[in-house]
Amino acid sequence: MEIETITDAFDTRVDDALSWIGDNGEWLFDAIRAVLEGTFDGILWLLQLAPFYVVAVLMGLLAWRVINTTAGVLTAAGLVACAMMGLWAETMSTLALVATATVLALAVGIPIGIVAGFSQSLDRFLEPLLDLIQTLPPYIYLLPTIALMGYGPATALAATFIVAMPPAIRLTSLGIRMTPSVFIELGQASGMTSWQMFTKIRLPFALPSIMAGVNQSLMMAFGMVVIAGIVGSGGLGETIYGAVRTLDIATSINAAIAIVIVTMVLDRLTQNAARNVKAGVQ
Amino acid sequence: MNRIQGNAMSTAISDTSEVLVECRNVWKIFGARATAAVKAVSERGLSKRQVLQDFDCVVGVSDASLKVHRGEIFCIMGLSGSGKSTLIRLLNRLIEPSLGTITVKGRDIAKLNAAELRDMRARNIGMVFQSVALLPHRTVLENAAFGLEVRGVPKDERNKTAKAALDKVGLSDWTSRLPNELSGGMQQRVGLARALAADPEIILMDEPFSALDPLIRRQLQDEFRQLTKSLGKSAVFITHDLEEAIRIGDRIAIMKDGVIVQVGTAEDIVTRPADDYVAEFVAGISRIHLVKALTVMQPVETFATSHPGIDVSSLMQATPDADIAALIDLTMKSDRDAVAVVEDGRIVGVVTTRDLLCGVAGTPDIHPVAA
Repeated sequence: MEIETITDAFDTRVDDALSWIGDNGEWLFDAIRAVLEGTFDGILWLLQLAPFYVVAVLMGLLAWRVINTTAGVLTAAGLVACAMMGLWAETMSTLALVATATVLALAVGIPIGIVAGFSQSLDRFLEPLLDLIQTLPPYIYLLPTIALMGYGPATALAATFIVAMPPAIRLTSLGIRMTPSVFIELGQASGMTSWQMFTKIRLPFALPSIMAGVNQSLMMAFGMVVIAGIVGSGGLGETIYGAVRTLDIATSINAAIAIVIVTMVLDRLTQNAARNVKAGVQ
Repeated sequence: MNRIQGNAMSTAISDTSEVLVECRNVWKIFGARATAAVKAVSERGLSKRQVLQDFDCVVGVSDASLKVHRGEIFCIMGLSGSGKSTLIRLLNRLIEPSLGTITVKGRDIAKLNAAELRDMRARNIGMVFQSVALLPHRTVLENAAFGLEVRGVPKDERNKTAKAALDKVGLSDWTSRLPNELSGGMQQRVGLARALAADPEIILMDEPFSALDPLIRRQLQDEFRQLTKSLGKSAVFITHDLEEAIRIGDRIAIMKDGVIVQVGTAEDIVTRPADDYVAEFVAGISRIHLVKALTVMQPVETFATSHPGIDVSSLMQATPDADIAALIDLTMKSDRDAVAVVEDGRIVGVVTTRDLLCGVAGTPDIHPVAA
């Protein structure tokens, strides 16, 4: 048999499978879509509840508490700049997308990571899968999702969710596996139950690694959310995509600046939160 | 004759009290084919080297038997790789034995189920680690209360107990500090307080003072011995330092390549090493506080024949367990070159300066050809 015949047959199978899933799994994807959009709408509603200056001041205060005064001032100023560029609604929309996708990715990724930390076989099974997810170009995930869930934020969220999950799984699993053996021994010698060992020994020692995973997930989500502008995610990604198509360089640069500001604010916030956790442990 | 007397005395004291921990012919074999190796050992009595050759398995502990009595501090001395850390972990079943039985308070610990084992570890056997293993994100008090927390003791009560334990080790002013604010010696005291707070009958000490500097180490050794004795605890103490074992232990077991080479009091080991290996270890140890009158004295008749002019009853008197340092003191105060050893009002022997020199040097007494 010619090699081309084999690959053609494979491609046909993939297409068939996708349409079969699309036909038969409609209820499932409608449900997923409802959950994703529901969460997204809720978070977006919350973010748009207050005028931009209130949000800017609140974020500034948070950065001041978690990092320092300079970071607080810069955060507030950066968010005000987003509003002044006329991109406040888009910025909040992007923030809501990132938050939704990251929260869901963590909610699924951290428990999987914990189980993988205990189970060598699950970890060995996940390792190549996560490698695959992380090496494929991220917009690959847009195609099947758009086929199954259509144009709109739900597709963007699903693709972002897939991209944001691997670091959470990896770093949680690593953190659980890296518990220093003397403390395991201490727990055993003190007569701990497995649950006590998990909550009092393994989890506290894994926390810095888990927090690093949260930060990494967030950064992956930011990268993806911009790409997801192509499938109608709304927010800054779509603004950039639109600007690229019409060669509107000024708007694309404004949107890019807004993305950089939001990304840096959230990166620094989570990084410092992780560092504070670490300082508590060591 | 003296030799037999010495042994009989030291065992007689410990045999009267209850046995808390007992190992009977315990083996621990590590390796992929450990089960087959264990079978070969129990059926054909293979040696350590044969096990390594035939099964590619490492013997951690080989046919170890020991008894730890209530109130006793039992030291296990050996160099790294001698199996002492494996042996101590067998005692609370952190490591499962390949062969043999281990009983704690008369119960075979291999037969305990998971809950019973947890209960035994939480209540009967405490453990102190070389690396201390204080939880870095908890205060000194919370660390000391750790064992009680695991047991589910309410917070107020466990903090009170932990505070009392910290008080015993002299750290009552440091309760709200974090472990990294404390020096190495203080951290190890917290480790000891954590073990004491749970009020176990037996404390397993896994080279607790090895990483400390010599001065702090000595101080902690003395404090540990005094504290253990005053609280009536029993301890199994692992060390690679014979001097530490002698300072702390009521009895000492010497381990080499997984085998217990000799068990005895410090004096037994120093004066009567079981083999060349032990003898080499003992060579550098100062004997003046270890060797007792009973070991160095000569029979009254021998003394009478070689010193016909001296009346034995006119000599200064010492008890059989007076050490060489005390005997030297007495000899210096006396105008004679000999001290009489008195037991139950009867003179049982005489220690001459010559005997003292032999005792210090550790050489057997060769009586002069001509007096």
